[in-house]
Amino acid sequence: MKSLIKKFAQIPGPSGYENQIRAAVRAEVEPCANEVIVDALGNLIVRWGEKGPDGLRMMLSAHLDEIGVIATHVDKKGFVRFAGLGGVHPAYCVGGHVRFLNGTRGVISFEKESGLKKMPSLDKLFIDVGATSPGDCPVGVGDVAVFARKYQELGEKIVTKALDDRIGVVVLVEALRQLHEENLDSPHELYFVFSTQEEVGLRGAGTSAYHINPDLGLSVDVTSTGDTPKGSKMEVRLGEGPAIKVRDGGMLSDPRVVDWMVSTAEEHEIPCQLEILKGGTTDARAIQVTRAGVPVGCLSVPCRYVHSPSEMVDYGDVEDSVRLLVALLSDQVPQLEGEE
Amino acid sequence: MPETLELLKKLISAPGLSGYEGPVSQLVAEAWEAITDELQTSRVGSLQGLQCGTGTDPRPKILLATHMDAIGLMVSGYAGDCLRVTSVGGVDHRVLPGQSVTVHGREDLPGLVAQPPANLIPGGDKKKPVAMQYLLVDVGLNAEELRQKVRVGDLISFAQEPLEMGENTVAGHSLDNRVSVVALTLALEDLRDRSHAWDVWAVATAQEEETMAGAKTSAYDLRPELAVAVDVTFGEGPGAPKHKAYPLGEGVTLGWGPTVHPVLHAEFKKIAQELEIPFALEPLPRRSGTDADALQLSTVGIPTMVVSIPLRYMHTPVEMVSLKDIKRAGRLLAEFVARLPLDYMDTLTWKESVSLS
Repeated sequence: MKSLIKKFAQIPGPSGYENQIRAAVRAEVEPCANEVIVDALGNLIVRWGEKGPDGLRMMLSAHLDEIGVIATHVDKKGFVRFAGLGGVHPAYCVGGHVRFLNGTRGVISFEKESGLKKMPSLDKLFIDVGATSPGDCPVGVGDVAVFARKYQELGEKIVTKALDDRIGVVVLVEALRQLHEENLDSPHELYFVFSTQEEVGLRGAGTSAYHINPDLGLSVDVTSTGDTPKGSKMEVRLGEGPAIKVRDGGMLSDPRVVDWMVSTAEEHEIPCQLEILKGGTTDARAIQVTRAGVPVGCLSVPCRYVHSPSEMVDYGDVEDSVRLLVALLSDQVPQLEGEE
Repeated sequence: MPETLELLKKLISAPGLSGYEGPVSQLVAEAWEAITDELQTSRVGSLQGLQCGTGTDPRPKILLATHMDAIGLMVSGYAGDCLRVTSVGGVDHRVLPGQSVTVHGREDLPGLVAQPPANLIPGGDKKKPVAMQYLLVDVGLNAEELRQKVRVGDLISFAQEPLEMGENTVAGHSLDNRVSVVALTLALEDLRDRSHAWDVWAVATAQEEETMAGAKTSAYDLRPELAVAVDVTFGEGPGAPKHKAYPLGEGVTLGWGPTVHPVLHAEFKKIAQELEIPFALEPLPRRSGTDADALQLSTVGIPTMVVSIPLRYMHTPVEMVSLKDIKRAGRLLAEFVARLPLDYMDTLTWKESVSLS
């Protein structure tokens, strides 16, 4: 699984430009799939299994896209101004490296005049690609880039760019592969959705949920942690198992789905933590309000430094996330109370 | 009036925080059972009650939405013998310290909101209210007992008993928006005894305070031709100047703005004038901040109206409202529905030039 994490994380795929990563994921999942669709927004939708008498049509979603930047102006001396694609924080930009989809490398710096005592806003930052004028600048307005950072293992921890949400993509791929290759029984018709444009407003998940019209939806994404020095007041810690989301900044998980996830984890003795995330949300928000409504939950992989180029997860948490997802998908879902 | 008061007190006696509306939904279902022809729970927890019209099938449908979810707190972590909390819906954190609450753990536990001294808070300033993330809830247990009885994600609801003040005024928690659920119930009772051509879908919606998930999904599910949201609005009072608020006990407000279909507004106004129901025009220049925002944009678009009941101290545990305004809202709703002719949709067009005077 580590090689898959390394491979997927290094492929660039900013929101709206998911071609390369979609192709790579497709190559991995196609041998397992009953059906593969790429829809109008570029979502990769993989169907697996048949709906049995006690089964559900279930949508699982992990987003393909990662945050990035888009060039908005090239000045007379060849410096590139940019805007964020998704939630790009200036604190994580200065001194960073970016790689444009055309292969151009650049470094990010800031207007010295403004000083660094106060955090500069994105419009005080620029990318230096080594050009001297617009004429020799290999980047033009509208070119997009992702943050560059190599893959590293620090003990049990994995650090690289784009773990949000390539780690979720890997968890879905691995769960699908196990279900398929180990010939596991599932009463469900499963739709593994590798969604697009999550970072700019959960766009792919919304349309694919409309297309699939699922009975139940789960997103698999990263969540922040509260285990760093003077960090946010949050109970989730790295290395203590996958987090089962109770709520985040944009969604309340369906309590029946939370109970089902917690009891499944307990039954299979998989460590887990309950998550309350104050800012940010996931594909589950979009799925929940689709059509006449969908009961949803979210399986989160705890991740430090989310939206920085050095996102960090614990490998044990990733393995346990796969175990929990496979356990959830292999068995009947208890009747959701209140359902007809 | 006593029945209105009793129903209101009953509906705020049960918790029903956003996303967890089960307990209050059950009470609303009891109140609606005898006055609806069909009751169902939506996939996200809204209660949908149908009162059939008398028109020939297929009849047009009107959706009347009142959200039943309430704001409150949720356990987000532990701090020694106390709990850390986050809000469900927009809670006014300035008024929380000292409030009594119920923590819905493995059992219901009485608790109180405690405020750590400013010197223990990073960047603490005695003059400023303590931010939500530093407030604590104390249930009088030690750290070990606490972890056994309460887990992250457990709900905390406000525990104040309602206060009856004078003949017509009530204060308490969750009046936003249980007062509108009461108004809708009164309308259903009224409509039960009179002929109305249209089908009425009364919906006690879920999750309005968070995402409007209930209104959005019920509108998709039920496909009404028209929709009305009834909610609370800012009541005139300390710190709520006249140009931003509406007096308590002096009538409902009729929303006006892009969210509201101008012809529906005019129709509500005409009826209010005829029945001598006092009202104020409430400009809603952007979003209405009610279920109407979701209803209007559902499916192919739904002509939508907003009726509001003035309420003081919004999003605190001591919201205050006049019973008279609740009854007025109910009566106005019923009258609007009863007067809808079967062919109303053939005549409805977006006309902005309706008279506002």
